Amino acid sequence: MIEVERLHKSYFVHRREPGLRAALRSLWHRPREEVKAVDGVSFRVGAAERVGFLGPNGAGKTTTLKVLSGLLHPTSGHVSVAGHTPQDRSREFLQQITLVMGQKQQLLWDLPPSETFLLNRAIYDIPRPQYQETVAELTELLGLRGLMDKPTRQLSLGERMKCELAVALLHRPRILFLDEPTIGLDVTMQATVRSFVRAYNERFAATVLLTSHYMDDVAALCPRVLVIDRGRLIYDGSLDELVRRVRPDKRVLLKLSRPVDARDLQRIGVIVSHTDAQAVLQVSQSELQSAVQRVLAQLPIVDLTVEDPPLEEVMRELFERGVAEGAA
Amino acid sequence: MSLRAAARAYPALLRAGFASAVAYRAEFLIWMFSTNMPLIMLALWAAVARSGPVAGYTQLGFAAYYLCTLLVRLLTGSWVVWEMTMEIRQGTLALRLLRPIHPLLAYSAENLAAVPLRGVVALPVLSVLLWAARGQLGHDPLLWLMLWPALFGAWLLTFLVMALIGTLALYVESAASLFEAWLGVSAVLSGYLVPLDLFPQAVQRIALALPFRFLLSFPVELMLGKHSAGHALLLLGGQWLYVAAALVATTLVWRAGLRRYSAYGG
Amino acid sequence: MRRVLAIVRAQLRASVALALQYRLEFLVEGALAILWMAVTLVPVLVVFGTRGAVEGWTFPEMLLVLGWFVALKGVLEGAVSPSLTAVIEHVRKGTLDFVLLKPADAQLLVSVAKLEPWRVVDLAGAGLIFAYAFGKLGRTPDSGQVLAAAAMLVGALLVLYSIAILVVSIAFFAVRVDNLLYLFQSVFDVARWPSTIFRGFLAVLFTYVLPLALMTTYPALALLGRLRLGTALGALAGTVAFAAFARTVWSLSIRKYTSASS
Repeated sequence: MIEVERLHKSYFVHRREPGLRAALRSLWHRPREEVKAVDGVSFRVGAAERVGFLGPNGAGKTTTLKVLSGLLHPTSGHVSVAGHTPQDRSREFLQQITLVMGQKQQLLWDLPPSETFLLNRAIYDIPRPQYQETVAELTELLGLRGLMDKPTRQLSLGERMKCELAVALLHRPRILFLDEPTIGLDVTMQATVRSFVRAYNERFAATVLLTSHYMDDVAALCPRVLVIDRGRLIYDGSLDELVRRVRPDKRVLLKLSRPVDARDLQRIGVIVSHTDAQAVLQVSQSELQSAVQRVLAQLPIVDLTVEDPPLEEVMRELFERGVAEGAA
Repeated sequence: MSLRAAARAYPALLRAGFASAVAYRAEFLIWMFSTNMPLIMLALWAAVARSGPVAGYTQLGFAAYYLCTLLVRLLTGSWVVWEMTMEIRQGTLALRLLRPIHPLLAYSAENLAAVPLRGVVALPVLSVLLWAARGQLGHDPLLWLMLWPALFGAWLLTFLVMALIGTLALYVESAASLFEAWLGVSAVLSGYLVPLDLFPQAVQRIALALPFRFLLSFPVELMLGKHSAGHALLLLGGQWLYVAAALVATTLVWRAGLRRYSAYGG
Repeated sequence: MRRVLAIVRAQLRASVALALQYRLEFLVEGALAILWMAVTLVPVLVVFGTRGAVEGWTFPEMLLVLGWFVALKGVLEGAVSPSLTAVIEHVRKGTLDFVLLKPADAQLLVSVAKLEPWRVVDLAGAGLIFAYAFGKLGRTPDSGQVLAAAAMLVGALLVLYSIAILVVSIAFFAVRVDNLLYLFQSVFDVARWPSTIFRGFLAVLFTYVLPLALMTTYPALALLGRLRLGTALGALAGTVAFAAFARTVWSLSIRKYTSASS
């Protein structure tokens, strides 16, 4: 469905130093700097897949999405989406895709969402029966009842995002590019958006490519993740595998019946937190078995659990270390 | 806030205003080029006067009139009404209210500080053009002396009317439209489009009594030497009476409007 | 074509809905349009109080030029400028991407993005001015003259629109074009006089470089039956060439926008 081969995208930015003299100098000489936003990325995504795009700010996620949706021309490399070259922006191609940007909106600000719906119906040339069916479906899936006829500016951020999603999917695209669709939303609304995207994906066998700052989004939605850092793809595979690869360390949670000395804990593993009643230790996977045995033998334990560290921390670790071993 | 504190703060406000006028020089140049109505009117009247003078105006006479009009307009222009209506609508007026200086004073400093820059750009060009029509200008040095308070009065009156209508935005949504209407009437009755002495007698009599004339036509009349020194002094007094009245009205409306603003919130 | 009409209709609907949200403003803007029309007429009334004709134009003939001016100004400020201001807003906010992702011509989409329906007051006013002028002339134009005038008017609209598209093309690279648009609106005021009013440098400027004066003069001459066929065809050919040029610049700008921006 999506094929990307050795995609490069670089652009030039003009640098300008502050100050009047620099301003005058820049009149005839402007220093240019090449920025490599995407630097040789290759991957394939099959039909009906849900793929998460991870990476720190400025890693090239949004640039890649924009190239895939035809908004940006690649500097070099081959890109094919649903059999089309995106930057040709052919009508057939545009009818099949949609792009949702969490930070930008296409709904007309002063009018109810229903007006933008009608506008898109005309632009996408959607036959009336199909339009009515889709609207009914989306209304039910997203819980839009009562929102459609209020001016957009009076909707809450979450309500607005639901309408944004609906209007972006009116033409039943087969490929969804979602750029930070949950940004700024509260936890319940994030969950709503997630379950909706999953439902849409399953019902219409649509391909979903999603970027997000919230690891929970990716964890809940995407069986497969791509990790991009400084324009390069550094991981392509399942999320579990990524977690294993980055940090084989486990967390051991202890509930204590009485306070213990920190030195006793340090002998077993790295202390993440420690109070009178409980402690969290970090232990590498290879030492887990012996560590647990020592804990049971030496410490006054009420309860003991072993779990993976939070995803956010895994990712922070990944980008700080710049782990590139096992790149796709 | 005491008047003395305001007087101390004013130079600093002027300096800041001048700096921002320099920063927005591109906008300012565009605005200057957009102020082209006097030249468009000049084109029409020059064509009319080709076949002989109209009520004493030759082609050169019209040229002198409209160039002076343009100059006065550029020097006395202000934008405070748009700034005020915008700040009131967006609620950023609250930021001004937090500062220990009267917002109207701050606005006036910002607007006044832009005048020197306009003079620097507009004066050389228009002076060269006016030199060609110098025979049409007045010769009485007293009138030229009175031109300065008249120009300042015209600027102040323009500013105060704008501030007054801008303040009305505290009460009604469509203050900007109200100003638009003022602008339309003013274009006719201030001599911006047509010299007032070309109007029929009845219209002239009304126009001369209304405040519009003192916004524009009066300084132009001084430059063209249309009055005796005594009569000019009388008119100057009239202009400043209007200024005083506008000052009182603006202050009162502002004070009442602010009470309302703080009662209902932004 | 059916699709184009559907899009235009949908946009129009949205614009009207938007305007009706602020009903008071609707009335106020209408009243203001009438006021400005009156202000436009004042200088002409004063001029013809002193003269029977100016550069060969009598009062009712001059009114025809003014009528076209009022109508074109209404189109400019009611349809062309608001849409293009909307594009500039899109570029500033980065939401132009949504427009470019639509399976329809981007120029069409941005051109009808926003309309100010109360500007029909201007068209009605222009109609009144025409009616009065022909009443004074004591005749009505024949169908051929009306047809010629309509053709010239379409040409004028096309030029107006093309200039605006050129201005907006600049918006992709320089952000502060809202000022340029404003400047253009004020320069358009030149079109209120017949082209023969201008002499020397200005005549060359407003006839050949920025054919503003012709936009109102030619349709007026056509209504009077004084426009020569050769002139008319020449003007239309120039218009079409200009529109094609604007379209090319627009396409290049869009391509540059998508290949350069981040």
